Amino acid sequence: MRVLFPKGKIAVASAAAMLALGASAAYAETPSWCGQKKASIAFLDGFGGNSWRVITTASAKEEALKCPSITQYEYADGQGNTQKAISDINSMAARGIDALVVFGDAGPAVLPALTSVYKAGKVVVPYRVVVGGEAGKNYSKYIGASEKEDGVSWANWIKSILPSGGNVLFISGPAGNSQGLSELEGLKSVLGPEYKFINPAPFDVTNWDPALTQQVLTAEIAKNPKIDVIVSDFGPSLVGALPVFKKFNRSIPPIATSDGNILGCFWTDNHADNPDFKLFTVATGNDNARLAVQWAVALATGGTPPKEEVFVAPHFEDSVSGKPSMVQCRKDLPGDIYLSAQMKGEDQGKLINK
Amino acid sequence: MKATSDPVSSRPDARQILPVSLTREFLTVVISTVALIVLCRLFAPSSISYGALAGSLPFAAILVIVGLGQMLVVQQGGFDLSVAGGVSLAVVVSTHIPAGNNANLLPAVLMAASFALAIGVANGVLVGLLRLNSIVATIGMNALIYGGVFAVSGGIPRSTTPLLAAIAGGDTFGFANSIYFALAILLVVTLVLKKTVVGRRYEAIGANPLAARAVGLHVRLHQMMAYVYAQLTYCIAGILLAGITSQPTAFQGDSLLLPSVAVVVLGGTSLIGGRGFPVSTAIAAFFLNQLSQFALAIGVPYSAQTIIQALALGFGIAVYSFR
Repeated sequence: MRVLFPKGKIAVASAAAMLALGASAAYAETPSWCGQKKASIAFLDGFGGNSWRVITTASAKEEALKCPSITQYEYADGQGNTQKAISDINSMAARGIDALVVFGDAGPAVLPALTSVYKAGKVVVPYRVVVGGEAGKNYSKYIGASEKEDGVSWANWIKSILPSGGNVLFISGPAGNSQGLSELEGLKSVLGPEYKFINPAPFDVTNWDPALTQQVLTAEIAKNPKIDVIVSDFGPSLVGALPVFKKFNRSIPPIATSDGNILGCFWTDNHADNPDFKLFTVATGNDNARLAVQWAVALATGGTPPKEEVFVAPHFEDSVSGKPSMVQCRKDLPGDIYLSAQMKGEDQGKLINK
Repeated sequence: MKATSDPVSSRPDARQILPVSLTREFLTVVISTVALIVLCRLFAPSSISYGALAGSLPFAAILVIVGLGQMLVVQQGGFDLSVAGGVSLAVVVSTHIPAGNNANLLPAVLMAASFALAIGVANGVLVGLLRLNSIVATIGMNALIYGGVFAVSGGIPRSTTPLLAAIAGGDTFGFANSIYFALAILLVVTLVLKKTVVGRRYEAIGANPLAARAVGLHVRLHQMMAYVYAQLTYCIAGILLAGITSQPTAFQGDSLLLPSVAVVVLGGTSLIGGRGFPVSTAIAAFFLNQLSQFALAIGVPYSAQTIIQALALGFGIAVYSFR
């Protein structure tokens, strides 16, 4: 993916980019985080192989191209390979890119590369995955997601539907992943001892794999005659597993999780038959990348950085209160899109169907 | 582990009259499985409840199918490490090509099957005819197949077509349809292997290719076909897996590589080739699946779950090694 704007033709190229993105009049206004200085930017993904990443990457590009001072946009996919991710960082710097936004999936393993690039005078913005080090020394700015805040949001909703406590089943991704641990911290900061976590501590391991999720959930349902609420940090992966409740002649319990079109549609189709099935979602957080890009562009072009330094996933759907939104389902679009993202559902559908 | 030296014995044997011969391999895996069920009954009764079995048996069925494919290759003294790619390719072809449209499911399934045939023939030519080491050839092929997986899917998962979800994920008479598929494939493999001329030749070649060549059998052709049969079973497993999980990832086959070899070993098939034990392999798949359900149901931490499974596997291999 490469968008190169030759010098002297920036205005024309920008206009072309706007048309290509189907941009509205909003693009004509230069955002405050976009300064006057010309700069090139690269978006470095540690792993690009799922629909969430594809939509996030496209969101990052859309955001960067809102700033006419950006003369070049580059993308690299680390393909889940730490060595490739490190070499991507170094080669982008060697090619003279001014600002790097890095999804550091490999964690602290990419820190030495980030540090050396930062010391060579580049703007370096790691985001969403903690890479260690500190801002101003190893990189310019870290734009994290507040996973603890997600846990707090879920916990508050659980308290509202189960005021006197109950059995909570918390499932997350790979063993020991920092996201799950932060979410658990948020959950526990709100939920008292009357809420019993029935999964093995700290959470049930699913690797965010739908097949494994199904096997784990089956075992938990069989073992626990009473599950009052399920908390999961990847809602769409639950969809294959939830019909298992029917095999036990039980209603699907309330679920607090992150959004996805397939999950919204599953709720729409099944809540009538499952009286206990309530759904609360926070945004899956594709727009975290936009905040990171805004920071990188601001630092590279001399614009005003945004006020936010941490991406807090907004609440998205609540089947109980209907606020901020009732559960959404777009049957005309693929299941693998995220209606909580800023990018329109139709545009996401086009990306996925490419 | 010793090779079974007498695969095409003509000795009259009372045990051969039974539909499943009561070999040592068969008895070992059956006794282990019964012991596991007793353990489940005592310590984790929830893991053998109807609901738990209904939820987990479809995955055991997938493992049975993949295990049978791997067994056919192992019988010829080979290994097929392209199982991960083969399954993943079938998953993405059967989900991405129809893209939610039931009408396109059949063409997608046919397409997946033709890919499987082509990959199987390629593996077979590399190993059977050109005499490449099977591990090297199939691991290279696996990388190549993953290129195809990315070409079809871009690495993006896609929701399953409703028709496929109903066929592969549905129930008939209270049992998951995938179980019937697994039983049907088991029946075909067993009958062909044990009751037909082709099958008897296949086992004889696996046991001793030199002797088989001396009596004029088409050794290379049979060795080549092993990889074709294997890919076809992976393809079926992949399509079923796509139906069972409603939003399969593009890498769904990865987690099947080790278990596919494990069930062959636990089922008693010698890794240096020879006689195959399809029924034992299928029971071993149930055993391995039930073992992970047992570990989940007793609620031990994830690290302990992994250790329990590894120990059981080590134990299974040891049983055959020390005889």
